[in-house]
Amino acid sequence: MLLTQLNKGERATIIDLSLVNESVRRRLLDLGISEGSQVCLQCKLPFKGPCMVENCGQSLGIRLQDASYIKVEKTC
Amino acid sequence: MLNIALIGNPNTGKTSLFNNLTGTYQYVGNWSGVTVEKKVGIIKNKKGNLIDLPGVYSLSPLSKDEAVVSNFFVTESFDGIINIVDASQIERNLLLTLQLLEFEKPVIIGMNMTDVAKRRGITINEQKLSEKLGVPVVPVIARSGKGTATINDLLTDDLKVDASFTLNYGPIIEESIDQIIDLLPANLSIPKRWTSIQLLEGNAEVKKYIESLVAGAGIDSIIQATNEQIADETAATNTSKWIYSVRKAFIEELIQTSVVTEESENKSLTDKIDKIATHPFLGIPIFLATMFLMFKLTFDWLGIPLSDILDGFISGSLTTWITNGLNTVGASDFIKAVVLDGIVAGVGGVLVFVPQIFILFLLISFLEDSGYMARAALVMDRTMEMVGLNGKAFIPMIIGFGCNVPGVMAARTIETPRERMLTILLTPLMSCSARLPVYALFVGAFFAKYQALVVFSLYVLGIVVALTLAKIFSSTILKGEFSMFVVELPPYRMPQGKALLRSTWDKGKGFIKKAGTFIFGGSVLIWLLSYSGPAGFDVPMDDSFLAMIGNVLAPILAPLGFGTWQAGASLITGFLAKEVVVSAMNIIYHVPNADSLQGLLSNEFSALSAFSFMVFVLLYVPCLATVATIRKEAGSAKWTWFSVGYALVIAYVLSLVIYQGGKLLGY
Repeated sequence: MLLTQLNKGERATIIDLSLVNESVRRRLLDLGISEGSQVCLQCKLPFKGPCMVENCGQSLGIRLQDASYIKVEKTC
Repeated sequence: MLNIALIGNPNTGKTSLFNNLTGTYQYVGNWSGVTVEKKVGIIKNKKGNLIDLPGVYSLSPLSKDEAVVSNFFVTESFDGIINIVDASQIERNLLLTLQLLEFEKPVIIGMNMTDVAKRRGITINEQKLSEKLGVPVVPVIARSGKGTATINDLLTDDLKVDASFTLNYGPIIEESIDQIIDLLPANLSIPKRWTSIQLLEGNAEVKKYIESLVAGAGIDSIIQATNEQIADETAATNTSKWIYSVRKAFIEELIQTSVVTEESENKSLTDKIDKIATHPFLGIPIFLATMFLMFKLTFDWLGIPLSDILDGFISGSLTTWITNGLNTVGASDFIKAVVLDGIVAGVGGVLVFVPQIFILFLLISFLEDSGYMARAALVMDRTMEMVGLNGKAFIPMIIGFGCNVPGVMAARTIETPRERMLTILLTPLMSCSARLPVYALFVGAFFAKYQALVVFSLYVLGIVVALTLAKIFSSTILKGEFSMFVVELPPYRMPQGKALLRSTWDKGKGFIKKAGTFIFGGSVLIWLLSYSGPAGFDVPMDDSFLAMIGNVLAPILAPLGFGTWQAGASLITGFLAKEVVVSAMNIIYHVPNADSLQGLLSNEFSALSAFSFMVFVLLYVPCLATVATIRKEAGSAKWTWFSVGYALVIAYVLSLVIYQGGKLLGY
């Protein structure tokens, strides 16, 4: 499934980042987010605004479009 | 003398540590990208210089401020590195640390934010970490300065070089590294192994530097061949991914032996505040309310009463003292006129607004320190995306409310060149504190009851014009498909009183300095021009040079509602610094204090033309210092002229529409 398909507060493991834009992926790697990272979708802003994702206690904001290229697997 | 570089991830407290190690006061905030240029200070133990660099996640740059760091590594010589590490985000911080260790210079690790880490259940064994990496690891609290003494003691003349750290990247990469090393010039000033690894990783700055030294495509073909080999023979799709995964694996092992992590599921205060601050529907209203509250405080509640007291002092006691002093020393009438009518009226007329400006700076500093800035960027991103920008462009704009110069500089953190240029061009439309005196003067005279509201409307107008122009520019002259937005949202922190006062003073002292230089000089010049004319000195003001200059502009400005030579002359001098508009008016109308100037102005302006004038001052042209900064940051004379030109056109058109439209509506 995709990161954007998660509900608010749900946790998941990232399984594929290869579809994400090169620069965005570089930045995500910089922030310690790669395949295998645990993330939690904290919130989505309205009108297709960016979403807030948490990883290891660090929150970050990314655009909905970029998030929709990130494949994840839900963890319970 | 030692030269020590201070390096770490963004927003890990580098500048706080810098301030504590050097005893100087640099600008700190709680978002990524506070420092965009390197700064140098002298270490307290007098052993050398400390160089504060912008925060980076890796030595391979994506944005302009990051390129500053890579460039520093390649071209400048230094003796050691202090690497500040955020303990609560130790994994990704260590990714940078490994690249620093490979540079073969002495490294000291300052482990910051251990308290935040503890609250998250992370405990770090510094001793173990130090053993594994072969460098000292010192726990510090950068904000309070705890642990800085230990670092100070370590910074001695004979910094031990421990170049023993090497990370094995596997047979493919190691072979390529050896091949590249052979092709590098023998007298290369930077470590060859490090250079080879950076080249393989795709560091654009290092590549540029090496290409300037060695010709030929030898290195390039090795890099390409390695890339293909990695893709064929390993799980990674390219070299940089492979290198990343090797480093990550090494860090994971490191953490297993020296970091203890317990699960802690308690909701932090940050999560609770974020529930409201980035609420889907309340987010934007909360942002606007925060801004409005800021102006309420700056004007109605605190600023005006304070500046009234100061005005009373300057036009009363101070003027009397100066007059008496001049009389005692037997100054000539000319000197008395320069001092009292020129300097006291001009400089004093601006200094009166110091309280308002300091309160605004204090509030902006509070926002910066608290961690709200990154949230504002997040909340505004969707709006900014629609006009061809990204949410990060909003941070330079808010900083621009204080002063446009650091605002334009802050645009460096924006990754894409197109969006950065747009932000540089549009930040000057943000109403900076120097324009405050102009508003304060006019709203006091014409909109006494709705001061905060009218001023707020000007700020909003600046933002609306900027966003509209962003849309127009990005769909015409600055077209481009690519836009990116990834922002780190730091945990909220209660700003510390001391740090707040420091950064307020840091911003505010520029204003006072300006009063002593530009405004002082401008005032004397304006006074001289108003005192002399074709007929000689001490002419009636209407026959002075100043009136002649103003008269050239008056007919052009007439359709905007202020076609007087006085308005024209003060607008021209306002290019020096926007406050000078007020100085000029004080001198031209030759009045003792702000109250009587406001009385006089109500004969010259109507409420409508006053508003039109304020709009014109808001937009008409960036001040001299801002223009110089745009020239430097944009690196192009063409764009600099463009920023001046479009602002003039927009200001004229909008003031015209407001004045003529208002007249039609019967105001």
